[in-house]
Amino acid sequence: MFNEMYQSESLIRNHYNNINEWLEKMTAKVINEKNAEAETHFRNIGITFSTNSETARERIIPFDLIPRIFTFSEWSKLEKGVIQRTKALNAFLADIYNQGEIIKANIIPKELIFKKKSYEVSMFGFTPPRSIYSPIVGIDLVRTNHNEYFVLEDNCRTPSGVSYMLENREIMMRMFPDLFHTNRVTPIDDYPTRLLQTLISLAPIKCNTSEPVCVLLTPGPLNSAYYEHSFLSDQMGIEMVESTDLFVEGEFLYMKTVDGPKKVDVVYRRIDDDFLDPLCFNPNSVIGIPGIMDVYRTGGVNICSAPGAGIADDKAIYVYVPEMIKFYLGEQPILENVQTWSCDKDDDLNYVLENLSDLVVKEVDGSGGYGMLIGPKSSKSSIEEFRRKLSANPRGYIAQPLLDLSFSPTLIKNQVEGRRVDLRPFCLMGENAQLSSGGLTRVAMNEGSFVVNSSQGGGVKDTWVLAE
Amino acid sequence: MLSRTAEYLYWISRYMERAETNARLLDVGYRMSLFPNPNGYNNEWESVLAAAGAIQGYKNKYNIIEQKKVEDYLFFDEDNPSSVYNCILNARSNALVVRTSFTPESWLAINKTYQEIIKLKNNNFNASDLPNLTEWTIEQVNLFRGSLSSLLRNDGYNFLYLGLFVERADNSARLLDVKYFVLLPKPQYIGGNIDNMQWSILLRSLSSFRAFRWAYDGDVTSTKIADFLVLNSDCPRSLSFCIQNIVKHLTNLTCSPEKVNKIYNTLKDLNIKIQEEKIESIVNFGLHEFVTQFINKISSVDSDIQKEFFN
Repeated sequence: MFNEMYQSESLIRNHYNNINEWLEKMTAKVINEKNAEAETHFRNIGITFSTNSETARERIIPFDLIPRIFTFSEWSKLEKGVIQRTKALNAFLADIYNQGEIIKANIIPKELIFKKKSYEVSMFGFTPPRSIYSPIVGIDLVRTNHNEYFVLEDNCRTPSGVSYMLENREIMMRMFPDLFHTNRVTPIDDYPTRLLQTLISLAPIKCNTSEPVCVLLTPGPLNSAYYEHSFLSDQMGIEMVESTDLFVEGEFLYMKTVDGPKKVDVVYRRIDDDFLDPLCFNPNSVIGIPGIMDVYRTGGVNICSAPGAGIADDKAIYVYVPEMIKFYLGEQPILENVQTWSCDKDDDLNYVLENLSDLVVKEVDGSGGYGMLIGPKSSKSSIEEFRRKLSANPRGYIAQPLLDLSFSPTLIKNQVEGRRVDLRPFCLMGENAQLSSGGLTRVAMNEGSFVVNSSQGGGVKDTWVLAE
Repeated sequence: MLSRTAEYLYWISRYMERAETNARLLDVGYRMSLFPNPNGYNNEWESVLAAAGAIQGYKNKYNIIEQKKVEDYLFFDEDNPSSVYNCILNARSNALVVRTSFTPESWLAINKTYQEIIKLKNNNFNASDLPNLTEWTIEQVNLFRGSLSSLLRNDGYNFLYLGLFVERADNSARLLDVKYFVLLPKPQYIGGNIDNMQWSILLRSLSSFRAFRWAYDGDVTSTKIADFLVLNSDCPRSLSFCIQNIVKHLTNLTCSPEKVNKIYNTLKDLNIKIQEEKIESIVNFGLHEFVTQFINKISSVDSDIQKEFFN
C-alpha cells in the first residue's frame, strides 16, 4: 500500500510537510466552515451534475480540502509518459483510417478494429488537419508505488473533468491563500488559453484567416457535463452552440447569429459521433447538423475530436497501446498498462473464470464504474452471477488484477484518513503537445472503496504540481 | 451573437421582470386584505389575478378565490407558467445556457435566487410570510438588475433591456387595463374611500406610490394619476417610459440595421404620439381603448423582435 503523504507511520514525505503543518493547525470549526464555504461556492457557480433523483435536482461532487501533491520530478515522468501515449494514439488513428500498417504488421488483428462500432467507416481515407484526430486526451492513471503508475484507460473522445481541475484550484486559492504563499504551486489557469490555441492551430485547409472562428458544440443543458461546456466556452471566449444553431450551406458551416449567418472554422464538439450528422450517422437523430460531414471531409470545417476517434480508447484496443508506442514512435512505453485478460480469447477466459474472486471484471463498453465486478470485494453470489454473464458473453468483458490504488490523506468527519485516489491529467495536441500542469484527482470517499466515480460516492481534490 | 443567445437574454429579463410584477401584485392584494371594504374582504384578489393575467388558469384549478390559494398560485404554483417560482426557474435555466454572455455576477444573482426559492418552496409558508416573500423577490430582482450594470454595452445588453421593457410595458398596461375604471372621473366616487384605496393599489403595484407624491403637487386626482402612469416619462413604469426605452435599446442594436428599422417604423407613431399627447384627450378618447391599442402594439413589437432576430 502506497500512501501519498506518509513515507511510514511517523514520517511525512518532504513535499507534504507544509500541508501537514497546516492540517495540524486547522480546528474542526475551521474545517466545517471551509467545507460549507466550498459547497456554497460550487452551488452558486453551478458546478453541478444532474441526477434523476426527485429530492435533489442537481448534485455537487464532494470536495476534499487536502490537496494531492506531485513533486516536479514525479510530474515530469508523468508528463513524458502521457504525451508519448497521446502521440501514439493519434498515430494509431491516422494509420487505421489510412494505410493500416499496424494491421499489416500483424500487431493488432483487423477484426478487432473494423468490426467495432466506434470505427467510423466514413473517415476512411480522410486525414484531418495536422493528422490529429484527438487533440484533447484524458488519461486515467493510478499510482501503486513511489515510481509505479498504471494507465487504467484512455479517453480520446471528449474527456470531461477539466472544469473541476480549474474550479478546485480557484476555491483553494480563495479559501487558503496562505497555502499558495508557502508552497510553489504551478498555475493551471492558462489551460483554457492553451485549449483555444490548440483548436486554432487545427483550422481546416479552407480557412483563410489567421483568426479562425471556434465554437463549442454541446448537446444542451441536460447533459451532465453542461457546466463544463459553458465554463470552457466562457473562458475561451467562444460561442457555445447547440446543433440547431448550426447549418451547412455550400461548402461551409455557419452559425445563426443576430447579424445573419457567420462561418465556423473549428468545432470543439462535446457530443457523440452518432449525433453529429443525421445524413451520415444516425438517420433517426433529431439533433445533429445535416451535411456537416461533407463540409468536414472537404476541408471547410474541422471537428475536434474527429469522428471515429473513439476506437482508440476502446477497452479492447487499450491492450495494444504499449505495442503502438513501440511501433509508431520507436520508444519504450514510459507508463505501464494494467495486465488485462480479454475474455474473447479462450485461454484468457478460462483463467478469468478460475480466478474471478481475485480479479476486476469490466464491461468492454461500460463506464462510470457501473457493471463491473471487484472480485476480492464481492460476495460469493455476485461472483457467481458474474460468472454466468461472462460465460454467456465473453466478448463483452475484460479482466484485470485489483490494483492497490495509492492512499491520499482525506478529511472524513474532520479526521484525516487515507482514501484511494486516481488521476486524470489532460493532454493537448495541436501545433504542440502539452500536458496540463495538474489534473483531476478523484477520491473514493467511502472507507476501503476502490471506486472513485462521482456517480458512486467519489469526490475530488485539488491537484498540485510543485514548481522546480 | 447567436440568435438563440439573444432570445434567451431577452427572456431572462422578461421572466425576472414578471417575477417582480407578480410579487408587487401579491403585496397589494395582501395590503388590501387588511382593510375592510364595502364588498367584503376578498374581491381584490380577483383583480390581482386579472392583472397578473392568471385568472383563467386559477379558475381552472380552484372554484373559489381565497387568499392562501391566490398567494400560492401566483408565487409557488408550478402549474402557473407565470408564478414567481416558474419565472425564476425559467430565468435560471435560460441563464444556464447563456451564462457566457453576461457577467458572473449576473449568473450568481440568478442562481442564488434559484437556490433560495427551491428552499422556500420546500418549507411550507404561512399567509403571514407573504410580505417577506414579496420583499425577498423584489430584492432579488434588483440584485439581478444591478449586476447588469457591469455588462458590456453590446447587443446582448440591449436584448436584455428590450426584454425588460417589453415585459414592463405589457405588465403596466395590463394593470391599467384591469383598473382603468378607477381613473375615470366619476363624481360619486371622487374623494371617497374606495377611490383612494383603488388609486393606491395602482400606484403601489407599479412601485410608484411615493414617487407620485414627489412628482405632482396639490391634490391627488384621477387625471394626475393617469398622466403619471401613462404619459410621465420620469416614471420608470409609465407606458411612455417603457416605450421610449424600447425604442432606445432597439435603435442601439448594432446588428441588422434593416431589421431594426423595420421594427422601429411600426413603433414610431406610438412613440411620438405618447410624447405629445395630453392626458385629457386620452381620457376623452377612452382610456380603455387607448390601453388596449397599446397592449396590441407591444405584443406585435414582441412578435416582430422574436421573428426578426431569434429565428
